Amino acid sequence: MATAITLRNPAVATPRTRAATEESSLVRWLLIAIAVLFLVIFLFLPLAMVFSSALAKGWSFYLASLRQPDAWAAIRLTLIAAGIAVPANLIFGVAAAWAIGKFDFFGKSVLITLIDLPFAVSPVVSGLIYVLLFGLQGLLGPWLAAHDLKIVFAVPGIVLATIFVTFPFVARELIPLVQAQGNDEEEAALTLGASGWQTFFRITLPNIKWGLLYGVILCNARAMGEFGAVSVVSGHIRGRTNTMPLHIEILYNEYQFVSAFAVASLLALLALVTLLVKTLIEWKARQQRTQLEAAAAAEGSL
Amino acid sequence: MSIEAIGVTKRFGQFAALDNVGLTIPSGELVALLGPSGSGKTTLLRIIAGLEFADSGLIRFHGSDITGQAAGERRVGFVFQHYALFRHMTVFENIAFGLKVRPRSARPSKKDIQAKVKDLLRLIQLENLAYRYPSQLSGGQRQRVALARALAVEPSVLLLDEPFGALDAKVRLELRRWLRQLHDEIHITSVFVTHDQEEALEVADRVVVMNQGKIEQIGSPDEVYNQPATPFVYRFLGNVNLFHGRIDEGHALIQNTAPSTAPTDNQGTLVYVRPHALEIRRQPNGTGHFRATIKHINSAGPLVKVEAVTEWGGPVHVEMSQERFQDLQLIKNEPVFITPRDVKVFEADRTA
Repeated sequence: MATAITLRNPAVATPRTRAATEESSLVRWLLIAIAVLFLVIFLFLPLAMVFSSALAKGWSFYLASLRQPDAWAAIRLTLIAAGIAVPANLIFGVAAAWAIGKFDFFGKSVLITLIDLPFAVSPVVSGLIYVLLFGLQGLLGPWLAAHDLKIVFAVPGIVLATIFVTFPFVARELIPLVQAQGNDEEEAALTLGASGWQTFFRITLPNIKWGLLYGVILCNARAMGEFGAVSVVSGHIRGRTNTMPLHIEILYNEYQFVSAFAVASLLALLALVTLLVKTLIEWKARQQRTQLEAAAAAEGSL
Repeated sequence: MSIEAIGVTKRFGQFAALDNVGLTIPSGELVALLGPSGSGKTTLLRIIAGLEFADSGLIRFHGSDITGQAAGERRVGFVFQHYALFRHMTVFENIAFGLKVRPRSARPSKKDIQAKVKDLLRLIQLENLAYRYPSQLSGGQRQRVALARALAVEPSVLLLDEPFGALDAKVRLELRRWLRQLHDEIHITSVFVTHDQEEALEVADRVVVMNQGKIEQIGSPDEVYNQPATPFVYRFLGNVNLFHGRIDEGHALIQNTAPSTAPTDNQGTLVYVRPHALEIRRQPNGTGHFRATIKHINSAGPLVKVEAVTEWGGPVHVEMSQERFQDLQLIKNEPVFITPRDVKVFEADRTA
């Protein structure tokens, strides 16, 4: 009985066919064009606008705007708030990711939900919570007043609000990473005689460093740029409780556009520097790897 | 160093992973913990390693109680199924890790560490891959690095959790022979977990067969294979045909009537026969035979595997040599007579 399998004659040229997932060139160009257009309108144009507006009256005016005592105070306060909030959330984020990723315990899903809370709540509301809690008419207000402690409308309130708002960034970035990596490497380290700290610093930390760095970068950007929550607890005392975003708003409302954009350009620059640092670190890591590979190849050829 | 487990019980919620398990492993032996998944073999290994702790029971190394000791204090080498190599370290750094994390007073000098790692790289035959990362190695190479890493700290026992489970068939075969050779050279008390009976029978000095959190049998590969203590061991260590039958004056009678009649009387029992212990003939020989019809023949491989249907409608598997198959020239749907040469009956299966 003859089998009914016919082989395609290789001499007959078949027309080039597209891979199953490949779109026609028209569709491809359209998608690329849409993406580029979006980037230009929503990203590049505003960025260029910030810098051109900031420098509209020349360099000397730009520098003078930044040297203004109120502007300078705002910059300092922003750095202080971020300088406290980022390390605090770094420690919390690593601890939370470690606990959630490596262990099973009662109330784990509640903890995960709680970590997301600052994302779900409007920043204005989270600011108001602190006012209701620590304000003069608030729950702890009388006690704080009696002990001469000032939280709302002062630096501690701003720091607290910033910590709250930037709470999820590091933890959110790390939890899936830690969960995916599992416990095997840590267990291996333990059986080899490493202590808990050695295991953490030599095994766990190197494995999560990119996620951690990314989380810290995002956390820092948000800490410096936070407006809503900080606005509620700040009280807008010039030179005392204004952060950069609040200062920019005041300048803008007073029609000092160039000064406003000068301070805004600093925040924009921060974003660019952050990107640069990230790219640089990644490039460095890749280079180190290729060097080691080259060394390995050289050794192999001996 | 000998290992003892005494009355070890471990529960995960409602599930009893280990139920009062007792086991003694003499110094220098290579022992396999063999069982299906969920039999508790990995849990037992992890309890011996100190990665898991028993709800009750004791673990002793060389006679001294180490039940409460942490993994790092037990001086065990542990090899994980999925290697668990440190992915951000080179092969060299991986192997050196256990020496580098020692407290300063016990840490060898840099030169000694280097020499030790070099020795181990030679042992695992990967001297020229010292500066590769784990991601650049094949599965077999990774597992050998994991083994070298475990051996670097000069452990008193070596524990391996399904060490070849994630490798493809050919590499697995190679690596398990290599492990056997290695053990013959260094004689370290070793325990490995496997669900592959062939692997356990080929590599181990002694096989511990486990099922549902209990030990079914402990013995040499020859003992567990040829003198299985329980029906489970018999079934788990090879293919098997199962027949209803009865005991009559010391002889096992396999059911030879239609399935509609009651298959068991007061002395009904189960009769186990390995496929290679059945003989196919064209002619009846005396009384010890039953009729069957050939349904399928697979002649690829060293043994020819024949599937047939018995006269009472049940399936039966027979294995024979290629020579025998050539002699018989069996064809599909052919009626034949099957004679069991060797059967096994367990007391526990008696329904009396």
